[in-house]
Amino acid sequence: MSSSLLTMRKPVRVLFFVVLLAVALVQIYPFFWVITSSFKTDADLAKAAYLLPSKIYMGHYQQALQSDLMRYFFNSFSVAVGVLVSLIALGAPAGYALSKMRFHYAEKVMTFFLLGMMIPSFACLIPMFQFYNALGLRNTYWALIIPQVGFGLPVCIFLYKNFMSRIPDSLTDAAAIDGASHWYIFMNIIFPMSKNITVTILTFNFVYVWNEFTYANTFMSAGKMKTLPVGLSDFVGEMGGVDWGATFATITLSMLPTLIIYAVLNKQVIEGMTAGAVKS
Amino acid sequence: MCNNKGSRIHFPATNGRFRGRVCSRDIQTGGQTELKTKKSKKKIAPWLFSGPALLAYTSVVIVPIICSLGFSFYDYSGVGKRVFNGINNYVRMFRDDTFLIAIKNNLLLMAGSTAIQMVLGLVLAILLSNIRKFTNVLRVAYFVPCIISSAAICQIFSKMFSIVPEGVIPALMRLGGMEQIAFLSDSKWALAIVIILDAYKYVSMHMIIFYSALMDVDESVVEAAIVDGCGWWKLHTKIKIPMIMNIIVMELVLLINGTLKAFDISYILTKGGPGTTTELVVTYMYKTSFGMAKFGVGSAMAVFLAVESLAAVGIVRYIGNKLQRRYT
Repeated sequence: MSSSLLTMRKPVRVLFFVVLLAVALVQIYPFFWVITSSFKTDADLAKAAYLLPSKIYMGHYQQALQSDLMRYFFNSFSVAVGVLVSLIALGAPAGYALSKMRFHYAEKVMTFFLLGMMIPSFACLIPMFQFYNALGLRNTYWALIIPQVGFGLPVCIFLYKNFMSRIPDSLTDAAAIDGASHWYIFMNIIFPMSKNITVTILTFNFVYVWNEFTYANTFMSAGKMKTLPVGLSDFVGEMGGVDWGATFATITLSMLPTLIIYAVLNKQVIEGMTAGAVKS
Repeated sequence: MCNNKGSRIHFPATNGRFRGRVCSRDIQTGGQTELKTKKSKKKIAPWLFSGPALLAYTSVVIVPIICSLGFSFYDYSGVGKRVFNGINNYVRMFRDDTFLIAIKNNLLLMAGSTAIQMVLGLVLAILLSNIRKFTNVLRVAYFVPCIISSAAICQIFSKMFSIVPEGVIPALMRLGGMEQIAFLSDSKWALAIVIILDAYKYVSMHMIIFYSALMDVDESVVEAAIVDGCGWWKLHTKIKIPMIMNIIVMELVLLINGTLKAFDISYILTKGGPGTTTELVVTYMYKTSFGMAKFGVGSAMAVFLAVESLAAVGIVRYIGNKLQRRYT
């Protein structure tokens, strides 16, 4: 407990708490509003918007599930799996090379990776579009997986490198002396021991990939290939003016996966996202 | 207690480690020839491990940024031949009134959103570091907007601001007897709303960075100050804030860099409108390239964006370092 707390009287602390609580409620209210509103009946929706539903009504969810939403969910999940698997498969060995192998160029390679964090992804959008167009990758999952892996790798490698360099060398020396190859050491000692950072990288990258809008909006023009964020905007554009209940249900469903992951692994999500921000 | 913990973690490995150390010394003295023959293999191995990542990263990030620079000197509309036209794209870009408006809007957004996030983030972090209970719950609650997609946030707010059917904000204005304002289609308000939503989405991220910095301030310094009779206000303004000055400068860099690249909220919520009131550099670049198929001018804007954010980061770092040196 911080000793600066000693300098304050209790009423002041309570006042601080009240202010903090008020701000927290403002931060959460929009999501609370959309979730509660999604359970309103049409009669409730016609009443003042700040009222709570008079009873729980699931009809809008039935409506939402009958739309293309499930297709968008499937697309988003496929892209997320592709990005996360590739990030770990490429990032973890690179982190091992840069931290655990006596590697003359390690520092230069790391600087080269960190350089990527300074490059705005928007500045690469036009060439990417033309490459993927020429290669026939538009409207395939690859068009979303490749750029997100490329731009996700610097932070991923940075986190792996930092974590792995804190694992004592004594653990790997024994195996090395017994003639184990680097690949064996990596797969059986270092990578399993890096489980914590792997979970962090997976969780916060899932949040990023799930929410990604720009690439999906640029490279996926076919309706059935759209991911949730773009599909959501289209769906609301079509239905939003007319059918608020279904719109609220759709928005709620789209937020659900990240909210569930956040409910379980909030520490890792916050840690990963702030580390990513600090390094970029 | 600490010792116990440490030995418990290392215990299973002690056996192997001990054997390993003896052996490695043996090899270093006795087995030098063997090491030399293995040298070429050793040189390749790190590249095998980092090569795939390097390849992916280079082809996705480095090659396109160089191509953008190249494209910016050519006239290209997606079909037909690329025609070299020197710096014409840049000239055209700066003669485009909408682009100049986009720069102005973007600078306003940068100033407004950065100011809100810095001040609010720092104040909240200080308040949070001064309460005893529920800090974790509050942090988790604050962070929720960061994990929700911009698409969902924009849809939620467009419904909250909607006049017909009546969203929650006009409903509250009616309740309070005020005249309802269509914030998103009112040219006086639209940019302010985009700024506020940008700050709303990311402020908690910066609050948490400030909070961890404050919690990392050396406890012995704080204790010494308190023993010397330092009060709460002085403790924060004269000791804690100066001690996290490096984080404050870093935050300024992050925020300015981030707000110069703002895109989603303006693009999804207001589509740059009404008129051009919320047009930003990136949204206009996006529309020029993918809406109007002017890839040459679009590339020039992309280069402008990259140079602009690098320059801004450089300037802030330079000033920040000078200030820091004066402080410490």
